[in-house]
Amino acid sequence: MTATAAPDRVAPLLEIRDLVTAFDTPAGRVPAVDGVSLSIARGRTLGLVGESGCGKSVTAMSILRLVAAPGRIESGAILLDGPAGAVDLVSLAEPELRRVRGGRIGMIFQEPMTSLNPVFTVGDQVAEAVLLHRRCSRAAARERALEMLQLVRLADPERRLDEYPHQLSGGMRQRVMIAMALACEPDLVIADEPTTALDVTIQAQILELLADLRRRLGTAILLITHDLGVVAETCDEVAVMYAGRIVERAPAAELFRRPLHPYTIGLLAARPNPDAVHHDADGRAVRPPLVTIPGMVPPPQHFPAGCRFHPRCRYARGEATAAGPACSAAVPDLREVEPGHFVRCHYAGDLGPPHAVEAFRA
Amino acid sequence: MERSHGFWADAWRRYRRRPLGMLALVFVGFLVLVAALAPAIAGTKPVLCRYKGRIYAPCLGYFDRRLEPAIFAKDKFRGTYPKNLAEKDPQSWAIWPLFFQDPYRSVRADEWPGRPENPAMDQGRPSRMHLFGTDQAGVDVLAKMVHGTTVALLVGFVSMGIAGSIGIVVGALGGYFGGWIDMVTSRVTEIVMCVPTLVLILAVLALIEKPTIWHTMAIIGLTGWTGIARLTRGEFLRLKASEYVTAARAAGAGPWRIMLRHILPNALAPILVPITFGIASAILTESGLSFLGFGPPPPSASWGSILNGARSNLGMWWLVFFPGTAIFLTVLAYNLVGEGLQEATDPRLREARK
Repeated sequence: MTATAAPDRVAPLLEIRDLVTAFDTPAGRVPAVDGVSLSIARGRTLGLVGESGCGKSVTAMSILRLVAAPGRIESGAILLDGPAGAVDLVSLAEPELRRVRGGRIGMIFQEPMTSLNPVFTVGDQVAEAVLLHRRCSRAAARERALEMLQLVRLADPERRLDEYPHQLSGGMRQRVMIAMALACEPDLVIADEPTTALDVTIQAQILELLADLRRRLGTAILLITHDLGVVAETCDEVAVMYAGRIVERAPAAELFRRPLHPYTIGLLAARPNPDAVHHDADGRAVRPPLVTIPGMVPPPQHFPAGCRFHPRCRYARGEATAAGPACSAAVPDLREVEPGHFVRCHYAGDLGPPHAVEAFRA
Repeated sequence: MERSHGFWADAWRRYRRRPLGMLALVFVGFLVLVAALAPAIAGTKPVLCRYKGRIYAPCLGYFDRRLEPAIFAKDKFRGTYPKNLAEKDPQSWAIWPLFFQDPYRSVRADEWPGRPENPAMDQGRPSRMHLFGTDQAGVDVLAKMVHGTTVALLVGFVSMGIAGSIGIVVGALGGYFGGWIDMVTSRVTEIVMCVPTLVLILAVLALIEKPTIWHTMAIIGLTGWTGIARLTRGEFLRLKASEYVTAARAAGAGPWRIMLRHILPNALAPILVPITFGIASAILTESGLSFLGFGPPPPSASWGSILNGARSNLGMWWLVFFPGTAIFLTVLAYNLVGEGLQEATDPRLREARK
């Protein structure tokens, strides 16, 4: 599985191997990320999907080592490929790490309302992002800031340059954040729920902007979201996370066509389906009830033994098909069930037809 | 269209709407002006004079002895200018201060042509000649107070400058880095907090051979930073976890840049408030010390030391009334400025008053 073993495959831009990030709380050790492995190729978009609290944001923060105390990376490697070979961000010294942050990896946060410093103008902040990594004059940095604001299609960029964050709307601020993240032409942008705080029309604009910038600049994107619609529109590959672990990884089209993990199947089934709406005799719309996955994501202190999804899994409960005692006994491996399609389930592929979504709608 | 404005411009706009705060600020400005122009308001040295073909400004001697041109010492003026100028150079001219009165000594008879000696003891009640009266030794109280303004302002600014610098640095380090650094800075803060300032000042002044006002200021500053440090620590703790600080770290900013550029400007407003109140209390402390007789030694003017003069003879009410009023107004002004600042910068109060 190493890069040298497959000479025809180029080394991925970023490879996370068995990352474990835990929080030392008074109640004990809480492993928020528990053995996550991922890889992102240059210029590609990887979607990391999961419910709140599944560890997807902690994974993102771990990449740049921004996890706040009492959290810490316990083991694993985060390899960033570069001109001089891959460097491990987990063990990189702080000064070199600072060159990676913002220089080779940019980051976009969820809350554009609070991610900009209220006392500085927008232009100052984008220019600062430039000055942190490039030797140039203030004037040149400001020039570059203007160029970036134009690139992210902020309306009236010359004027915005001298405005303060509170004078901008949420969508405009998120454009500024994107401009800051891209100012030094990073190889990878981590976007941690970049559209969650925005309203729907703005969401679409921002996603389109990200996709467009990726095409133009060749930047790889790690898109963290809980919105499967967003994933379907923007991602090349998808990793589904549940309770600190990756449960399924596949090319986006493949995942939506043929989800193999019961959790993914449940998630896809839970999407509202506009096609299922029909009209009764009086012409009123009748919507089928929304499908849900029973139960809640367990808190990390109370992760169940074996497969962490099994208490909520209808297959494991024997309601659907042939699942059995292995679910609560052993931790399933992330197996390559089909080429490029990895699943962490003892019975993946054997759940019987239909694998799919309809099983849940039954 | 509304012009873009930053946090401080915004705060200033809100501050301006408070008439009391503005009045207080104008008063502080007035004090600064009085302190800067003191030698031109009251003194016995010419503001500008022409002597033996050259122009001098002997009044600068009130700021520092060494600034008084040496030629006047060489020609044996002995600090008495009007007569000497006329006798030693008939062609000379001079621009005199507004009040020909010295803050450090009584003006003698005929020092100014045709003027009698300053009244001393309880004879020096306020009059046309001496608006605020004279003290026991015959020194004009107005002159003393005008020159004492410098002391009052310096005490506030210097001691709180020291306290502010120490407090911000200690609080910032503890709050930002946390861990053992926070442990150490917090304990040191608590220890210093236990030191009674007044007793320490009295002890140090007793030990030092020639105590000056600077010693007093240094001690007030060195003991008065604890509240500022605690507040700074709290602000840094709060802002360290803010999203824009995380965003700055993600952009590759180092700890010093984050502390100075991203956290400090956002923490400054709440820190400035106790500093302003601290200035008021430093002025009170100094006045109190001077009143007790531990102020700057005699050839210097401090409002508190004028009060001290009234202790022996309460009949000389003008020695209590004028400096007392000045101290009261100054302390009040600083407190009003602090309050205005608080209301102009505190987001919660800001919303409530919109």
